Amino acid sequence: MPANNRSAHPFIIIAGTMVCLLALSFVHSSFSLNGFTFRQVDMLADVKMDEKPHPTPKQVLAAKKTADSSQATGPSSIPEPDHHSYDYMTYTGIQEYQDTVTTAPGMQHFLNALQDLKTGKRKKVRIAYFGDSMIEGDLITSDLRDSLQTQFGGAGVGFVPVTSVVASFRTTILHTFSKNWTDYHFRNNPPQNLALGLSGHTFLPAAESWARYAPVHRHGLDRFDEVYVFYGPANGGNVIINGKPYTLSGDAPVNELALRQDTTQQSVMLKYEGGAPMPFYGLSFESSNGIYVDNFSFRGISGIELAKLGKGMLQQMQQQHPYDLVVLHYGANVLFRPELTDYSWYERPMQRVIDSLRHTWPQTSFLIVGTADKAYKKTDRYITAPGVAALLKVQHELAEQHGTAYWNLFAAMGGEGSMTHWVEGDTTFANKDYTHFNSKGAARVGALLYKAIMDEYKQEVHP
Amino acid sequence: MIDLQKLLATLVYDPKDPVLFNSAFFFYYFAVFLFCYLAVAGSKTGRVWVFTLFSLYFFYKACGYYVGLVMLSAIVDFNLSRWIFKAQQRSLRVFLLVFSIVINIGLLFYFKYTDFFIGIINDVTAGHIQPLHLLLPIGISFYTFENLSYTIDVYRKEFPPVDNFMDYLFFLSFFPKLMMGPIVRAADFIPQISKPYTLNSEDIGKGMYLIISGLFKKIIISDFIYLNFVQYIFDDPSKHTGLECLLGVYGYALVIYCDFSGYSDMAIGIARWTGFKIPPNFETPYQSANITEFWRRWHISLSSWLRDYLYIPLGGNRKGKVRQYVNLALTMLIGGFWHGASWNFIFWGGLHGVALGVDKIRIDYLKRTGKTFNGFSKHLFKVLGILLTFHFVCFCWIFFKASTFHDAWALVHQIVYDFQPAIWFDLYQGYTTVFALMLLGFILHFVSAAGGQHTMERAMAKVPVWGNVAIMVAFIWLLIQVKTTQPMIPIYFQF
Repeated sequence: MPANNRSAHPFIIIAGTMVCLLALSFVHSSFSLNGFTFRQVDMLADVKMDEKPHPTPKQVLAAKKTADSSQATGPSSIPEPDHHSYDYMTYTGIQEYQDTVTTAPGMQHFLNALQDLKTGKRKKVRIAYFGDSMIEGDLITSDLRDSLQTQFGGAGVGFVPVTSVVASFRTTILHTFSKNWTDYHFRNNPPQNLALGLSGHTFLPAAESWARYAPVHRHGLDRFDEVYVFYGPANGGNVIINGKPYTLSGDAPVNELALRQDTTQQSVMLKYEGGAPMPFYGLSFESSNGIYVDNFSFRGISGIELAKLGKGMLQQMQQQHPYDLVVLHYGANVLFRPELTDYSWYERPMQRVIDSLRHTWPQTSFLIVGTADKAYKKTDRYITAPGVAALLKVQHELAEQHGTAYWNLFAAMGGEGSMTHWVEGDTTFANKDYTHFNSKGAARVGALLYKAIMDEYKQEVHP
Repeated sequence: MIDLQKLLATLVYDPKDPVLFNSAFFFYYFAVFLFCYLAVAGSKTGRVWVFTLFSLYFFYKACGYYVGLVMLSAIVDFNLSRWIFKAQQRSLRVFLLVFSIVINIGLLFYFKYTDFFIGIINDVTAGHIQPLHLLLPIGISFYTFENLSYTIDVYRKEFPPVDNFMDYLFFLSFFPKLMMGPIVRAADFIPQISKPYTLNSEDIGKGMYLIISGLFKKIIISDFIYLNFVQYIFDDPSKHTGLECLLGVYGYALVIYCDFSGYSDMAIGIARWTGFKIPPNFETPYQSANITEFWRRWHISLSSWLRDYLYIPLGGNRKGKVRQYVNLALTMLIGGFWHGASWNFIFWGGLHGVALGVDKIRIDYLKRTGKTFNGFSKHLFKVLGILLTFHFVCFCWIFFKASTFHDAWALVHQIVYDFQPAIWFDLYQGYTTVFALMLLGFILHFVSAAGGQHTMERAMAKVPVWGNVAIMVAFIWLLIQVKTTQPMIPIYFQF
């Protein structure tokens, strides 16, 4: 070998580095500096024996859940509700609680309404589905609506606000609008005297503000029939709807203009033509009977924000446009720190929200949807965030305390580790943030919820 | 403390755990390999056998029994090219060449494109043919092209075929280039096999620099930006504002460059340390002032392959202007399709093909009129050219990366109609580290000149061997810190 041949150097560098890193793996090399923790080097992580801590009760529960849900891997295999166990952490059906305050405990009122609709005793049943970004763009609700309308009749998307951040991606209606509407909402301090609409938004027009809605080529959504315009207190505001002028007045917190869609017109064009300034809330698209699911999505909220809805508006809404079921689907924004397990800060204000809603709408059934699974990266793998179980406990307590119904979406998805499965499985059902569903996943959740509701309904009809 | 079963499990093929140069497994593997390789360094046959056996094991570890495909295609092409060489009749030579092309392309098509075409047939005929769901054998796109260039070169009588089968199998299975190339030409590689295994300080310095800079690009820049920002944007562009989407696209431009070129750098560095010189695969491509230049600096081993074995045989620029544009477009369409079986890749290739055609017109115009720019206007045009080229390439990346056309257009829609620049401060606060790394990545890319790299290489060449050990330990410790940080949770901005 020539004297200057360094062919041994690569081996020396690699082997030398390996020895040093192995040595570092055996000594405690983790330390903190300026609040940043430098991690332990572990070159043997892949081949070390697993350290087995004593299983905590939660882990035992989790193990049971995984066994329960092991068959729930394909989109077609929706798990059967586990009627033998009513454990709120594992039960995949709807649990109903009694209460003494209201006249509509659990799902009872809603299930009766469904039966009356089926037997022709009433014309319409409405669901107000409140949620965060998990349902925006009509995700989950569009699938639930589609299934329910197939079963109980009805055609139309229900409520649509005047403007929306996700309008261009909502596939159940074509919605465009001018840029000059002022949108007051939960997050931007509306003026004192301005009431928010049920969606959490109120829209003030400027000169020639407009909004246009057109049906889409989908079953039940391909034409408009009954159209309702919801607006706030008005004293002679002028609008033109599909070429016809209307003067809007009314002193109630919510006023309604009911229209029948002209059969020669496909779409609805609403244009503000001046006159007295007035707030708008949105439009509702329905047919003469059947079931309607209104999507009230508001990105980034936890549910606490519903406290900002005024009592007057809620009462008026219930008179004009009554809801038989309110669904509260929150959690993704409550779990912003995956390892946080104390949610008392959430429980207290949410108690007030539900309490107030229950008192304002005493005839209405309420369903609390427990959070979906949310995974986060721990060392090298994505696992269920410890906060999920803690939040579910709080959400279940809220249902129990207020006599509402409760549906554990986490359990229905498959329990512990299911989000990782939904993201990394052969078919992708959720996004890489391990939090949000994609359209396939949303459809699956919609189907799961529909099944849970129908199981209750069937028990009601044929107990 | 060591779990023997786990240890054994790490040694066998695991479809969920591909071998990457940045894994602990590769580190051990490489050390054992270098030890054995060094032990037989004096004998050519010893080196070829050790290297080939380690490479085949690497293949097995990465893609299981598909390792048989590499051996099979080595046997087929080794023999076919010898027969081509020996054959006297032109028709027999042509037949053997066509046979080799059909076998190689056929194998690639079967594994990579069958489901794509089944999908098209199902769409067109509303049929229900079951897709095969084949696992793509790792590296097949690369070694198929290497086989083809070898037989075609022999057919063109550019060099005689190799006599020794083991030499050919060694060339084809050479593990540094297994996963992501570069595509190596037999003519460059095979003569190096017989050279004695000696390394000088320049080889050590260059190898060290390439391995470290490759790891830096791959883990610190690419993986970090991708995991903590870019993937959220491309996952569901409609949920993000235009500003986020635009930054997501810039981020992806950096991610794909750093990922791909980082991997190439590591491959070239590792090859260099084992005594093989492989030409560079990327030369700071985003510094290109026009798209023609970009393709001379991006994935050079592929673009030069496509030029030599597709564009020129199609007629290149020798059959008139119209044919030249058609040839360019066709070459790029096929080049796009090579990246993967989807319309997105074809569309991406088509966009680049059209752009190359338009650029040809510009070059011809400048040549015809003899126009040149000097002084200020020369610099201005260069800067404008770089900006335009970079943004065009970024636009094409949207279609390359998005999982569907729908997603790609949704992203473009957000940038055009829903930009919302007002959220920049919240965005900056939410992703400070990501943006800092993106800035660093782009600065390093745009200011990096050959000079800086040579200085680093020379410095590493001068450092004594224990110094290089210290550098490597410190660097890997840093990598571990970056790799194990908890990913940031994405932010969904309200307005």
